Amino acid sequence: MNVLLKLTNVAVYVGDTCLLEPISLSLNQGQPLTILGQTGSGKSLLAQAIMGLLPADLRVSGEIEVFGEVMALEERQALWGREMVMLPQEPWHSLDPLMKGVDQVKEVYQFVREKDVQEALALANDDLRYVGLEGNGHKRPDELSGGMAQRLAITAATAGGAHVILADEPTKGLDVSRRDGIVQLLQARSNLGSLLTITHDVTVARQLGGVLLVIKKGRLVEQGEATQILDFPQDNYTRELIAAEPCAWSDMAPTIRNNSAEDILTADNLRLERGGRTLFDGLSFSIKRGEVVGIVGDSGCGKSSLGDALLDLLPISAGKLTRINKAAKPHQWLKLYQDPPSAFSASVSLGQLLDDLVTLHGIDKARIAPLMSRLSLPQGILTRNCLAVSGGELQRFAILRALLLDPVFLFADEPTSRLDPITAKEVTTLLVELASDAGCAVLLVSHDAALLQKTCHQVIAI
Amino acid sequence: MKMTLSQWLGLSILLALLAFSLLGVSLSPYSLSEQNLDAIMNAPSMEHWLGTDHLGRSMLTRLSYAVGLSFVLSLLCMLTSSLVGTAFGVWAVWGGKKVDTILGVVVNILLALPGLVVVLLFAAIAPGSFLVLYLAISLVQWVEYFRVVRAITQGVIQSPARQSSQMMGFGRWYQFKRHIWPAISPSVFTLAAFGGANAILTMASLGFVYVGIQPPLAELGLMTVELFPYYSDAPWLLAQPLVVIALMVFAFHLLAGKRA
Amino acid sequence: MKAMFLKRALQLITVVWGVGTLTFILMRSLPGDMAYRIAASRYGQDNVDSNAAALVRAELNLDQGALTAYWHWLTDLLQFKLGDSLVSGLPVMDTVQHMLGHSLLLAFAGLVLSVLIAVPLGLLSAWRGNPLDSVLMGFSSVIRAMPVFVLGVLFILLFALHWNWFPVAGFGSPAYLVLPAMTLALSLAAVSNRVVRDSAKQTFQSAFYQFSRVKGLSAWQTFRQHGVRNIAVPVVAFFGIQLVSMIEGIVMIESLFSWPGIGHGLAHAIFARDIPVIQGAALVMGILFVLLNTLVDLICLWIDPRGAKKL
Repeated sequence: MNVLLKLTNVAVYVGDTCLLEPISLSLNQGQPLTILGQTGSGKSLLAQAIMGLLPADLRVSGEIEVFGEVMALEERQALWGREMVMLPQEPWHSLDPLMKGVDQVKEVYQFVREKDVQEALALANDDLRYVGLEGNGHKRPDELSGGMAQRLAITAATAGGAHVILADEPTKGLDVSRRDGIVQLLQARSNLGSLLTITHDVTVARQLGGVLLVIKKGRLVEQGEATQILDFPQDNYTRELIAAEPCAWSDMAPTIRNNSAEDILTADNLRLERGGRTLFDGLSFSIKRGEVVGIVGDSGCGKSSLGDALLDLLPISAGKLTRINKAAKPHQWLKLYQDPPSAFSASVSLGQLLDDLVTLHGIDKARIAPLMSRLSLPQGILTRNCLAVSGGELQRFAILRALLLDPVFLFADEPTSRLDPITAKEVTTLLVELASDAGCAVLLVSHDAALLQKTCHQVIAI
Repeated sequence: MKMTLSQWLGLSILLALLAFSLLGVSLSPYSLSEQNLDAIMNAPSMEHWLGTDHLGRSMLTRLSYAVGLSFVLSLLCMLTSSLVGTAFGVWAVWGGKKVDTILGVVVNILLALPGLVVVLLFAAIAPGSFLVLYLAISLVQWVEYFRVVRAITQGVIQSPARQSSQMMGFGRWYQFKRHIWPAISPSVFTLAAFGGANAILTMASLGFVYVGIQPPLAELGLMTVELFPYYSDAPWLLAQPLVVIALMVFAFHLLAGKRA
Repeated sequence: MKAMFLKRALQLITVVWGVGTLTFILMRSLPGDMAYRIAASRYGQDNVDSNAAALVRAELNLDQGALTAYWHWLTDLLQFKLGDSLVSGLPVMDTVQHMLGHSLLLAFAGLVLSVLIAVPLGLLSAWRGNPLDSVLMGFSSVIRAMPVFVLGVLFILLFALHWNWFPVAGFGSPAYLVLPAMTLALSLAAVSNRVVRDSAKQTFQSAFYQFSRVKGLSAWQTFRQHGVRNIAVPVVAFFGIQLVSMIEGIVMIESLFSWPGIGHGLAHAIFARDIPVIQGAALVMGILFVLLNTLVDLICLWIDPRGAKKL
């Protein structure tokens, strides 16, 4: 088998601190290789090190062999686009914001493959047609959806003829339905060479197959055939990763609704419009006390807007919305946000924010400590501000703050989409358990149908 | 707020100039317009530490008076325009669509003319009036605060953090204190420092074209024109107001920090 | 686009109204017998009699009530009847046109020079980084701290009086243009080179810039394809902000160098209380300001079509 890329004891350091511990691997022709691990585990550095794109203050040790030769940085840079390419993590940021999509592909044919302008344009248009972007070439990146931008980026990246493709989180931020298409496109583009993918998504790793490496905090914990590892994981960390996938979760809520419970909210024939576009129409449902309701749908379909409308944060265009629980005060209808740090003021410590709340509503301070230990929040976080704690801790702190107000309804807007899978599982579990204990209804929005299926009494699809 | 080294340097220069001005005005034995035609354009000496001008007036007295005048004007303008601009900026976002539209129209009218032209027109109405100068400069400067504060506040109002505070029952003052003020205060501070520098510049510019503070009062721009004809006989005289203006503006810029 | 033009048209109207109203207030608030003073300045102190004063009074509608006079004032203004100078007696329209030509020459020369200075230096700062960056930035901070007239005075002292390279002040041969244009250019460039540098730095570090290299384009190709336009966006937008300093700079520089432009005219007219000229000069400056702003808006839109929805 033809070895395209061979790493021997490659490690990345900043100063004397090791960010990525020595790793050896080889990428063979026709056999994709996937590196699986959580965000922040140093795996992105590996792709940058191979390409020669590391920031100046980082240092690489070890040997990087490309096409059977040990190559220095400049030699590898000469291969960019022609032999070897790295796909960007965030396509929106990696495409020139001012240039039409087709031109970003055309320029590669023009400058790298040295075709004349007419031919380059024709080839670029062919490429776009192939990935289903026909008729979208004149658009600028900000006019494309995330999935379209990623397809454009992949097309532009591979137009130069590179067959060795490094893909760093190629499906980050994409809906499940778009994700599979990107994976197939990557496979098709690399069939003449090979594909090295870095991902945190176990499903993507499973779909790609080939060789799998599992990395934890910059250290390799397990490697081998993808199917073998994913079906029979040896290491605890691998097991945790696999178990954190929503489809592997155990059911958290009884799937049958408790019909005897009182309704707290009914929606009748709701219609919602935003920016002149109708998001949905004729939606009717009711939410019972203590019930967990899921809303599922692709991004941009109006799931979050629906939640905001239920909280009176957005006006509805038509239909009727009734909040039945009259006894509850306005501050008992609350929301958990998608991006935890943005939901807190960074100007003071979390403890101060908690004190503000306690003073305002005269909450019994004795309730705080047990709830904190239940949410496994260390006392220490109270002295820090929201930027100095992890996303998982902060989201649990948000749950703590909400529960102290004895809410009747909690709208959780993709509360775990910014968290890594293991933390996401913990947070979701705690949220559902604690809210149910407190008799609080939860409206859980997610783009992951499997997650909702495991956690909700009823699921509304938009 | 943590200050950088250059910000401390800027503050120190300003405080030193302020001290110079206060001590000069209060301790100098000469008055502002006391002429001594026997001692014109004297070089710095024990008697006249900074020399005398073309009419034999004490440069130390005049310079310290002029610096004091610049400080008073810049601080007054800074306070007025930052308070007005910040208050209106927040109000435009919080007060609803109508308030925002009306304030937007007012601001567009003010922005339709370059600031210096507005100030010049006001100065023409009441030449040499400190009050009119102060009002005109403040009128021009508050717009900048308004625009910045409004833009930032708009973001904060939409932010999950503020929304969540509101849902949890916190009042407007709390939302301002915890969310809006922390977001706008660095910009307001920077604008204030630049505004201070601009006020000094504008007053000096007006003095320089002879429509600002009138003689025999001492003002940095006016002193520059008055002393310009004597640049070859007594360069140290012309240098004094020039250096002081540049130093004051530079110090304010340092204090403002990196952001322009 | 439409909204942008509408906004600018409204601004144009407010400029005309604002300048007209301010100068009207100015005229009404002048102390003493206005007509007498104007007549004195026009015909000389010795030739003034009550007839001459009455003539002036009628000419300026000073004998009418405030509201009627204001109405007349504004309707005259809308027909661009700007009257005659109270000092020279020449039609304001002609005077202002003449001055405008000179100011535009100075503004254009200063602007071109400032671009020639700021763009290469800004790019150099961003590309080479420290220590060159710090030196250039420090230098520009020092120039920024100097009011434009201080800069001009220094130039006169050095290049005109000390070395005798260029004439001190006035208008005539191209040599007269050098110092005023340099002063304007340097004061503008000291601010805009920082904007060029920041914009270039941000572009060079952006993901799309790196991605272009990864796609296989060379450094130069990347700069040409993705650098120039992206760097230009904030720089051109900043020019809209800098218009204010440019016009203010022109007022000061013209006064300092006795350049017979609109700023010089305005300062002189204010000093001499020549109300029609004050109005004419302020009006032209305001209109020029709005037109230039519109131009900047259009250029911004052309290089960055993303803003089309916002405008």
